[in-house]
Amino acid sequence: MISVRRMLQQALRVSGRSAFPLVKWMERWAEAASLGPEGTRRQAMRSLDDMPGPSVASFAWDLFAKRGLSRLHELQLEGVQRFGPMWKASFGPILTVHVADPALIEQVLRQEGQHPMRSDLSSWKDYRKLRGHHCGLLTSEGEEWQTVRSLLGKHMLRPKALEAYDKTLNSVVTDLIDKLRLSRSPQGLVSDIASEFYRFGLEGISSVLFESRIGCLDQVVPEETERFIQSINTMFVMTLLTMAMPSWLHQLFPKPWKIFCQCWDYMFDFAKGHIDLRLTAEAKKIARGEKVEGRYLTYFLSQMGLPMKTVYSNVTELLLAGVDTISSTMSWFLYELSRHPEVQTSLREEVLSVLEGRRIPEAADVARMPLLKATVKEVLRLYPVIPANARVIPERDIQVGDYLIPKNTLITLCHFATSRDPAVFPNPNEFQPQRWLNKDQTHHPYASVPFGVGKRSCIGRRIAELELYLALARILIEFDVKPDPEGVSVKPMTRTLLVPENIISLQFIER
Amino acid sequence: MSLLIALRRLAHVRLGELSRRTTAVTLSSGARLSGLRSFTVGTQALRSDKVTFHFINRDGEKITVKGSPGDTLLDIVINEDLDFDGFGACEGTLACSTCHLIFDEEVYKKLGRVTDEEMDMLDLAYGLTETSRLGCQICLTKSLEGMVARVPDSVTDIRQSKDESA
Repeated sequence: MISVRRMLQQALRVSGRSAFPLVKWMERWAEAASLGPEGTRRQAMRSLDDMPGPSVASFAWDLFAKRGLSRLHELQLEGVQRFGPMWKASFGPILTVHVADPALIEQVLRQEGQHPMRSDLSSWKDYRKLRGHHCGLLTSEGEEWQTVRSLLGKHMLRPKALEAYDKTLNSVVTDLIDKLRLSRSPQGLVSDIASEFYRFGLEGISSVLFESRIGCLDQVVPEETERFIQSINTMFVMTLLTMAMPSWLHQLFPKPWKIFCQCWDYMFDFAKGHIDLRLTAEAKKIARGEKVEGRYLTYFLSQMGLPMKTVYSNVTELLLAGVDTISSTMSWFLYELSRHPEVQTSLREEVLSVLEGRRIPEAADVARMPLLKATVKEVLRLYPVIPANARVIPERDIQVGDYLIPKNTLITLCHFATSRDPAVFPNPNEFQPQRWLNKDQTHHPYASVPFGVGKRSCIGRRIAELELYLALARILIEFDVKPDPEGVSVKPMTRTLLVPENIISLQFIER
Repeated sequence: MSLLIALRRLAHVRLGELSRRTTAVTLSSGARLSGLRSFTVGTQALRSDKVTFHFINRDGEKITVKGSPGDTLLDIVINEDLDFDGFGACEGTLACSTCHLIFDEEVYKKLGRVTDEEMDMLDLAYGLTETSRLGCQICLTKSLEGMVARVPDSVTDIRQSKDESA
């Protein structure tokens, strides 16, 4: 009964584009007809008990004995094969429902409520409580989250606000190009491009947060920035491990949690150091009677009357969110282009024709580079930085597919599985940027949503996209990117985020 | 179940086709329109005349409001405190599609260029039509005097009305 209703709804949704009033009426009719008396609906709806899934022991075995933690994205594909689009599994002490179908993911996200919550239990929140820190945008909830989101959203996401960043970001890109030249071997090979791009990512997000440079792309990289980047990487590894471990295992092996805390301590210290430095300089200027015109995010945050602890935690979280994300995406992008020279050539032609002789693209130029945008979309489809996201709906039980999901259940959204689903994307493992431009070839809009959807989606999205477009276009103008003659094919692995499993080295040949 | 999935996918392919067609149409006339639009915004702002605009809410009622040129349609909904449940959830930051509005074709043509970013968000909207736009991306101009926008049903409305009737 329910499936008939959903089929009707889906069909109606499509025809709705041309015959809306009729549809409205028919949709209601379909609802009423298929629901019938209340009893029927209850009967047809299935509960968590009816949901398939691996046993606690077999899933734990997969996670710990079969390198499952770094293969979580592959376990999504295996889950769909074995159980269909919805299954349940116990991740450490937490039971979570996996959803791996675009239409079902859409259903979850449409019911996320006024203050969407990613997860109410997390080691990130535990650490902050333990140390007496405040929560930033990644970890806060409710009104606390909304206040900061509203302020930062205005400065980070609105198309108008974004224009403020292209000069700042372009100066960071210039340094990256110089750094790539400097790092090359005589044969033009830059080994481990991801680590170059980590520094670029950190310098980029810092420039936006502090409107000053912190030297990540200098010839000699400051030791503290290297340690910050290392702390992020280790923290992400420990995030999954500490969450998957049941509490008795924590007692036996306290080390992962200890390392996890040390990493966070370092990141909080690093951010606080830079914020204090910046704000002290500002205060001195004001004391001298000079006018201060801050256009950077830390300044906006500090002017809001928020407690300093809230400023510190938000800046820490924004810093760490801008590093792996940029680095992995740029690495995969250039890796794929080096293996698809025909795409690289077309892309370079697009960039050069838009720039008409200029060497430095600006934000406005990107609007006329559809292939560049399509290629970034394709890279994020194949290698979504966040392979799985999550939602908890604390207010009420929700219906997803045929199941009634009790409130407070952790729902895992399997984005990796949907973006590699052959029924949605033909030849899903092939790199085909054209699929995003081909008008005859379309897909479910929720199948690939690398930045998430809605008010809790990635707040850095627009800055990240701009940063990627500016940097990648410049690299293509300056260099021919070729594979490492001794390189092997590289697969992704999960480290909370999806990152390259092996080092990627590429040749950057002067053009 | 597999039949259901096949049907659903078929449905989405058709939905997508329609949306791409819309893109093509708007892109071809986009450049010219956006030029015109910025010109009108400039001159109207100087005269600071208010523009009358109508919304049709989800109950089919017509609501008439006045706004300043340059305000977005979402700004007007907020300034006038119009009660469209769940409207504008991301506060005009182009991160959701809850300020989805539907226009008559003639009005739609006057609205100017749709950016790629807005188009991507519109693809995620519930009940998308060929004349859909996001209210946060449309600035009021004198040429929109007396125009109408309809607030479509959201998926929550349908669920709520279901719950109420139950």
